[in-house]
Amino acid sequence: MSDDDPKRAADSGDDAPTRPAGSGEDEPQTGAKSGGGARSGGDAADADGSPIAAAREADSLRGAAGALVGGLTTAERNVASALGAFIALLLLFTAAGVINPTYLLYLLSLAGMYLLLSMGLNVQWGYTGLINFSVAAFFGLGAYGAALVTSSDAPITIAASPLLGLVAGLSLAGILAVLIGIPTLSLRADYLAIASLGLAEVVRLIINNEGQWTGGAVGLSGIPRFYENWPVLGDLARGTPTAAANLALVSVFVVATYLFLRRIHRSPWGRVQRTIRADEDLAKALGKDTFRFKMESFVVGSLVMALAGVFFAHLQLYLAPTSLLPTQTFYVWIAVILGGTGSDRGAMFGGFVIIAIREGTRFVGGSLPIDAGPLRLFLIGLIIILVIRYRPEGLLPPQRELVWPGASSSQADGGDGQ
Amino acid sequence: MSSLLQYFVNGLVFSSIIVLGSVGLSIVYSIADFANFAHGDTLTIGAYGALVALPTLSGIGGELLGLPLGFYGALLVGMALAAAVAVATELVIYRPLDTDAIGMLITSIGVAFVYRAVLQAGFGADFRSYGIERSGPIPGIESALGVTITERSVVMVVCALVLVVGLHALLQYTTLGRKMRAMSDNPELARVSGIRTDRVLLATWVVGAALAGAGGVFLGLSSSIDPRTGFDLLLVIFAAVILGGIGSVYGAMAGGFAIGMVHEFTPGLTEVGIPIGTDYATAVAFVIMVIILLVRPSGIAGREPT
Repeated sequence: MSDDDPKRAADSGDDAPTRPAGSGEDEPQTGAKSGGGARSGGDAADADGSPIAAAREADSLRGAAGALVGGLTTAERNVASALGAFIALLLLFTAAGVINPTYLLYLLSLAGMYLLLSMGLNVQWGYTGLINFSVAAFFGLGAYGAALVTSSDAPITIAASPLLGLVAGLSLAGILAVLIGIPTLSLRADYLAIASLGLAEVVRLIINNEGQWTGGAVGLSGIPRFYENWPVLGDLARGTPTAAANLALVSVFVVATYLFLRRIHRSPWGRVQRTIRADEDLAKALGKDTFRFKMESFVVGSLVMALAGVFFAHLQLYLAPTSLLPTQTFYVWIAVILGGTGSDRGAMFGGFVIIAIREGTRFVGGSLPIDAGPLRLFLIGLIIILVIRYRPEGLLPPQRELVWPGASSSQADGGDGQ
Repeated sequence: MSSLLQYFVNGLVFSSIIVLGSVGLSIVYSIADFANFAHGDTLTIGAYGALVALPTLSGIGGELLGLPLGFYGALLVGMALAAAVAVATELVIYRPLDTDAIGMLITSIGVAFVYRAVLQAGFGADFRSYGIERSGPIPGIESALGVTITERSVVMVVCALVLVVGLHALLQYTTLGRKMRAMSDNPELARVSGIRTDRVLLATWVVGAALAGAGGVFLGLSSSIDPRTGFDLLLVIFAAVILGGIGSVYGAMAGGFAIGMVHEFTPGLTEVGIPIGTDYATAVAFVIMVIILLVRPSGIAGREPT
């Protein structure tokens, strides 16, 4: 385990400042400490006798910092500097008063939400190779599940605690994932693509038309904040403090999801998923129940998407069926294929690209002869085509993140890395 | 009874649109070998092509089956435009790609968005209609059977029939058709036997997109169109293709007919006590598709899925 690679240490140290921005609200000192502490950081914490959880967290955060921009390839450098420049630009605009700080925090929260969606899709498409075109449906079920249970204006008022809403949203998405998985996952990949696109439409239709349960096309308001009745957070003033708390919330979701996904991705389960993606017959020949593994991957990914939906409901405090349009799904697809299929770092990058398209077109829209709506559609389409044409592996294809820390340099069995 | 007959007539009309769409999708599916998600927007392109051509062509005098001759000209323009756009897309976007069927599928989504963005930028997101004067139901039939049949529905069904029979003749009796069938069976074998597969592929795009374009024009004729029209219909068309069996042209005809009928019989469900409104016609198509996937994934006429 003693592979103190100075080069890596230097790199993660360099990159540490971008990390908190990259995944939202993490305290800067954590990133800096873990980055500077290099590979021994986690081990040292462990040796100190601090709780294992803390050690693992430090280790993982250090790994996350390293994985985000710790690479040596030019692509990673370019992406890191582009991201840095983008965030610097946002900060500059905020400082200059062009962007309201509350709006900046809101944008970053939205980026965090798309990051969650991208990570969810990455489990399905990146790990296992399942084409899911119903991201918007699972996102929407998470959002509506949470909203209907918690909202004070819901047609059937329950007005329960947001934690219960979280459970409701996730359960709905999980059940639907199983239902759609049963007929399609044992068939050729394109059946899932078609069926999931249909599913997304059906979910949207039902939410749109069953006003007596969902509020219908008018939408659903009266959703409380996630931390409504919590001791300190519940009493925050509107505006910037609330926006900061939202950002903190999504950061917790993102970090927890990232750590969980990284753990399962590196586990034997994750190896089977990658085998299925590469060659399903091989996985079958090795005695793996590929249907079960695909189903698990599909459900896990859908739950992550639903989590993003739950956050969205408590961020906007208002929900309408238009949030479930297919465009939403393909934003997330861009994030994943542009960032790098199978790469969670890539998904993070993709989250920011979506924000750039969504909000950027709003700013630029006025000065161009083309409206913001078609411009967005056009950009989505163009990016998809260009990525597949010129860089099908994405800008940040998965590299070290598939390998246990330490396995790549000190042990010979780095074989399951890409 | 007469309401059932009316649903049947409506189903026939809607089926003719779906059949044109699903046959085109199926033929591209089997020869270009990927699920083309841009097919719905190809329909829309055809519809807008006719919309643009109609004002110029409406000067042509004469009527055929109660519709001005200019409409038939616009129909041809719509079909030609859809075919031209599809061929250009194949040459510029699909052909240089070095990717598998899944990569193609994802690219086709991008293509669909670009098509729609261009239409929306050019024509706005609002509903547009062809503005051809409605002539009302054909009087004799209405009094005899109690069923409303308009002249334009007759035109749509007849034109769809002509096109489908033409496709059948093309596939069965021409050299090009034989080449297409050979390529759909086994592309490698087709190539080593001297078939210029890239040319056949272009011909396939022309045929598939022209049929879709015709479907789009009929859609515009029967109601109004907006840039989302085709994409909204895509699910129904896919349901038809899966019902018929992916890659089988004749299966797609049967599937399109069945799905079109079911779509238009949905209002009848409420009458027999099943509370499913017309809003859910698309959802019903989806449910049928899922049932088919569970029971017989190869469809009515399809080969075993691999």
